[in-house]
Parts: sequence; structure tokens; C-alpha cells
Amino acid sequence: MRYTGPVRDVVVIGGGVVGCAVAWRLSTTGASVTLVEAAHDLCEGASKGNTGITTSGADCRPGTLEAELVRRSSPGWEALCARLDTPFHRIGTLAVAVTAEEEARLPALLDEARTNGAPAEIVSGEAARRLEPLVTSEARAALHFPEDGIIDSIRLTIGYAELAARNGVEVLRSSPVTGFERDGERITAVLAGDRRIGARAVVNAAGLGAGRISELAGGEPFAMWPRQGQYWLLDRELGGRFRKVIGGVPTETTRGIYCVPTTNRSLLLGPTAVDHDDPSDRAVDRGTLEAVFEAAQRLVPAVRREYAIKTFAANRPASDPVYRVGRDGRVANLVHAAAIRSTGVSSSPAVAELVRSTLEEIGLPVGDDRPNAQTALEPLPRLLGHPDPDELIRRDARYGQVICACEQVTAAEIAAAHRMAVPATSLEGVRKRTRATGGRCQGAFCLAGVSFLHSIEAGRRPEQIAVSEPASTLGVPAGG
Amino acid sequence: MGEPAVVVVGAGITGLSCAAELRGHAAVTVVDRVPVPGGVHGWQAPETHELTAAADARLVLGATAVRWDGERLLVIGQDGAELLPAAALVVATGTRPLGRAELGIAGPRPAGVVAATVAAHLAENGLLVGRRPLIVGGGDWALRSAEELLHAGAESVTVAAPDGVLAPPLAGGGPRLRLMPGARPVAVGGGARVEQVELAGGDRVECDALVLAHGVVPLRNVDGAVWEGPRTVYAQPLHDPATVDGARSAGRDAARAVRSLLESP
Repeated sequence: MRYTGPVRDVVVIGGGVVGCAVAWRLSTTGASVTLVEAAHDLCEGASKGNTGITTSGADCRPGTLEAELVRRSSPGWEALCARLDTPFHRIGTLAVAVTAEEEARLPALLDEARTNGAPAEIVSGEAARRLEPLVTSEARAALHFPEDGIIDSIRLTIGYAELAARNGVEVLRSSPVTGFERDGERITAVLAGDRRIGARAVVNAAGLGAGRISELAGGEPFAMWPRQGQYWLLDRELGGRFRKVIGGVPTETTRGIYCVPTTNRSLLLGPTAVDHDDPSDRAVDRGTLEAVFEAAQRLVPAVRREYAIKTFAANRPASDPVYRVGRDGRVANLVHAAAIRSTGVSSSPAVAELVRSTLEEIGLPVGDDRPNAQTALEPLPRLLGHPDPDELIRRDARYGQVICACEQVTAAEIAAAHRMAVPATSLEGVRKRTRATGGRCQGAFCLAGVSFLHSIEAGRRPEQIAVSEPASTLGVPAGG
Repeated sequence: MGEPAVVVVGAGITGLSCAAELRGHAAVTVVDRVPVPGGVHGWQAPETHELTAAADARLVLGATAVRWDGERLLVIGQDGAELLPAAALVVATGTRPLGRAELGIAGPRPAGVVAATVAAHLAENGLLVGRRPLIVGGGDWALRSAEELLHAGAESVTVAAPDGVLAPPLAGGGPRLRLMPGARPVAVGGGARVEQVELAGGDRVECDALVLAHGVVPLRNVDGAVWEGPRTVYAQPLHDPATVDGARSAGRDAARAVRSLLESP
């Protein structure tokens, strides 16, 4: 038996950065919206495994929808992130040329950036090192993109969804879409998890699964496949010294390896780009990781092995063509926000707005914002880097209880992660909302403590504590 | 004129011994996360009592040292935040086993890959990380996690000791203990949870958890003092197993280093 609720104006499929952005954008309008996500939590696909760069569009292919949507999104990050309690810093990128051949490619890339309307300049090797002293002394020249930024893409995704949920969007996790009901050219209901959700319109933001969703709905077929990236995460002690994102000079086929200081002052190296078939394959291999490290050291000699704290792999959606944002050609009330390859974070605000205007064109009540809609999240104070920790502790003594010492995450922050409109339901959910266990000891010190707190806050017995999906339990039942 | 202030992070035998050696030369504060001194040797150890009395230092217990800028240490506790001025910082925060990335273990990220410190702690509290765990490492952490896991109800425990060295009680073997000296895990496999571990050479071991107990590295998590911090002395003996004598000796060495640091401008 499936539970059938009231018919919704819009069902958004996919709880990654694009789906959550769409839900957020629609949440301030008069439409009733349900977001469904297959995984146990939001932000479980490409949105959590990426560099966290907001590109200014300098390196997008000119004239494409991607370039246009990225450019439209770029100026608004400071204001948006303030409203979504999401860390963001516009620090700029240096694409560093080490060889004469790389240097020779810079003018063409500069032209491309200018065609896109993105600020860019070529600087000498010396000037590059003044902007970022960590750049190799081998640098001959660099292309500087001052408008690029770094963002916490997980907090962005969860921030979009949190504000959406507070504005009444229903968020259903662990709800994979298994089918659709149709009436002629229209979808009438979405079957997701144990629910049958009547829908006036459907937004397909299913990331790597978007091709399958379109096919299930009877929409246009499109081929998508996973492009795997492998990464290193390095310690704050090195990441905190970075002033710029540092990358190599892109070629026709790849943008190469970046050294990206995160908003938390850690350092990411990556990603690689290897197309494959299995979207669940998130395995790392030594050879690839070695190559990433060497590529990073070529740009920044200070990158050393002892700073490494984690390696991981993630899949981003690859497709041909890219950026299918708009109405489906076969199903009248299906709108795609799909095939958004690796720039989903960077374009998400403009993609959400484009989806909204497309829905308005097909008659959905998403034209005007409700005057009483909540437009900003109340910022949650965090101990790490807080200017007045004593004041925090006086307000709530749990801020004085540091659970994860590496990332300085307190019991107050872990408790708050369980009291959100879309709360943590796993240890990974706690990590994504607080960074607990994500630091240099990778939980060797604090995982037990975080697990105990999660057990209490989520009301779960210890043997039910899941690392991520419900089957991925931390422990196993003792005996038989 | 007062004595220079020194803060020691870690109230284990190493930190207490350092504080005791500095008595009369510096005004020492000892900070520890847990509410009792003793560290891995425990509050009940006679040396803990002896050194706590000998040091006669200010103890700030149940508080976490989070940030050091070369002049002041930010300490967070439930009573509030405190900035402790210090002419030198001693990091005596103990050790941890190597993590997955440090061990270079490839493959996906299933649940069940857990540090030995965590596996033992959870087992003590009745939560078993695996019924047939593979422990990588042959030293003290391997021994302690093997004991705790077997005690908590594991069916069997396999110990893969990459450098071939097994702590004596492990080397003696046991009914539910499988020893693989020289075996080095290189990849993990599984879906939601660990299902197997691949060893160098290509052999596979079926198991439902991988417990990381190999290597002994300093555990450091005070920002600003993780690598070569300013006016910082590290006192983290890497003995396996950790011994009281090794800790006392490391504490004495650290005190000497602090005194020469205090004499330098």
C-alpha cells in the first residue's frame, strides 16, 4: 500500500545542490512543493564530492547555457551565502603555467574568459607569487580569475533545503523514484519510496540518475555516465596558508588538478576525471592518487605527504550534451535540471531561477513570492574561529564540550544538527552538518563520542547507528 | 618577578612528569580533555598520584586546548573559554594509530573501517564493530582491540601485522585468533559494510570490519601547534606499548627543552 497525500504543485526529484536550490527558490512562492531524494540524506552525490569552487565562468565554453547560468550566479554569492549560513570567500584562482607550452595557451584562455564576461588577467610568474607566495618558483606566468570563490558546497546544499523546508517544502529522504503515473502527455503522480505523490509538474534534478528518471517518466532519453574524481584532503595547517585557488593551465580535454583551500581552511587536491559505468563506484586507487599528488606538488612545492588526512572519490554527472535545463520534449509537465556536469554548485542559483520561470510558463503558481516567506536562516554559531567563545559557552554550556577536537566541533553543534528541519540521521549526516570526524585524525579520537551523542540525539539504539545508509551500521549485533 | 608561565597539554605521565621537572622554574598549568589525570596509564596508577603531587601545577581538567598563537593558548571547557598566556607550550597529547589514507588503503568507503582506539572504546561499551574483524597492526592497539572485540562477542579476530611483529600476548595465539604476520592490507571491498580486505600479493580475507591498529603517530589537534608550532615543545613518545618509564623520560626531555627555550630570547 502506498500512502497518497494531497496533490502537489511541484515534485522535485533529487536532493543534491540543484534539486535543493530549485526547492529553495520555489519555497518562497505560492506553490506546494515536495522534494524526494533516493539516498538517506541530502547531498550524497556529486554535491558532496567536489572542489567547492564557485567558478566565475571564465573557463566555461563561450555561448553555452552553462556559461550564461554560471555568470548569472556569480555576483550573488556573498548575499546568498549570508542568507543560507554558508561559508563563502571570493579569493580568486591562479591558473599557473610552468612550461613555455602552457604559457603559450594563456592568451586564448584569456580571450575565452573575456568573451564569457568574466574578469581575468595574465600576470607574470613573479606577480603570481606576490598574489600567492605558495606558487612554485618555476611559474612562468599565470591567469588570474579574481572573481572565483570557494564555498562549503555541503552547507550550501543543506542550507537551500533547510530554508526550503522551513518555508513548507516537504523533504522526503530514502525515497527513490520507482515510477510515474501518466495521463496522456502529462505526469499525474510520482511513485517514490512508500508514497504516491500527485503532481502538477515534476522537476528532474536527479544528478547521475537524471537519464533514468527521464526514461521512467516517458521523457526524452539522454545518456549520462559517471565521471569519477579522486581527491586528497590535507590539513588546515597547510590549507590555512593558502590565499588563492591554484590550478594548472586547462587543456582541450581536462582542467587538471587544483589545490583548493576549503572554507574550513583544509586543502583539497583534485579532481581526476575518469569516465566509467558504475555510479556506485567510489573507490580510490593508489596510482591515480599518486598522480594527483605529483600534479599538485608541481604547482605548490609546499604540498607534502605528512599533511594528508583523507583520500576519497566521487562521481559527477557526465553527459552529451551538457546542461539540459528546460521542458522535456515529450512530457508536457516535466522540467529537467539535469546533465549539469561539474558546475552544479556554481550555477545552482540561476538554474533554480530558470526552472522557476519555466514552471511559470507552463502555468504553475510560482510567479510571485509570498510576503511572509522566510528569506534567511538564523546563523548557527560554531566554535571554530569564533571571535568570542566565552560568550558562546555562557549562552549554552554545551559549546564548552569539544567532541571533535580536530575540527573543534562541540556538543551544542552536534545537538543542533539533530534539531534542524532536515536533521542528521547518520554519522555522515552529522559530519556534513558539523564537520565532526572530518578532521586530521579522521575520527580516531572522537568517533565513539560522536556516535554516543548521535545515539542520544537521534533516539537510536547504538547498534542502529548508521555511518551513512541504514545498512551501513557502525556496529553489528553481538552473537548469532 | 614571577616565574615564566608554561602550559602543558595532556595530563598523562609524560605531561605530568614534564610539569614536575619544571617545578621551581616555571608556573605550570596542565590541561587535559578528560576530568582526571593519568592519560592511557590511568588515574589509579601510582605514578599518576606521585607526579601530580610532585608537579603541584594548576590542573585544568575536562577542557580542550584548541588554539595556540605562540603567546596564548585558547582552552575550551564547560565553565567557559580561557586564554592562557604562556612563554612555552608543551604538547603531550599522546599517540594514535595510522588512518586509512596514511596506510594507503584503496577501494570504496564501506562502513566498518574503524580506528583501533574507537573499536576498543565501542566494544568496552558493548558495541561490536564486527563479528569477524580483521585488525591491521600487531602492537599494543592490535592487542587491546583484539581483546575487547573477543570479550564483547566477536566470533573470530584476524590480525594482519604488516611488519611481522606481534605483541607477545598476541603471538601466543588463542582459540578465536588468527595470526597473519607479514600481511599488509592494501584495499578494502564491500557495499554498505566491509566484506573483504585485499592483501599485498593479492590474497583476500573475508571479514566484516577493518580495525586500524598499525603504526604509532603523534596525536596532535591544537591548531597552531600541529607542526613546528611557535615556542612549542613536543613530548609524544612513540613507544609500543606505551610505558611509564618511556613517558617519564619523554617528560624529562621536554622539561629540558622548555628550560632552554625559556632561556633563549
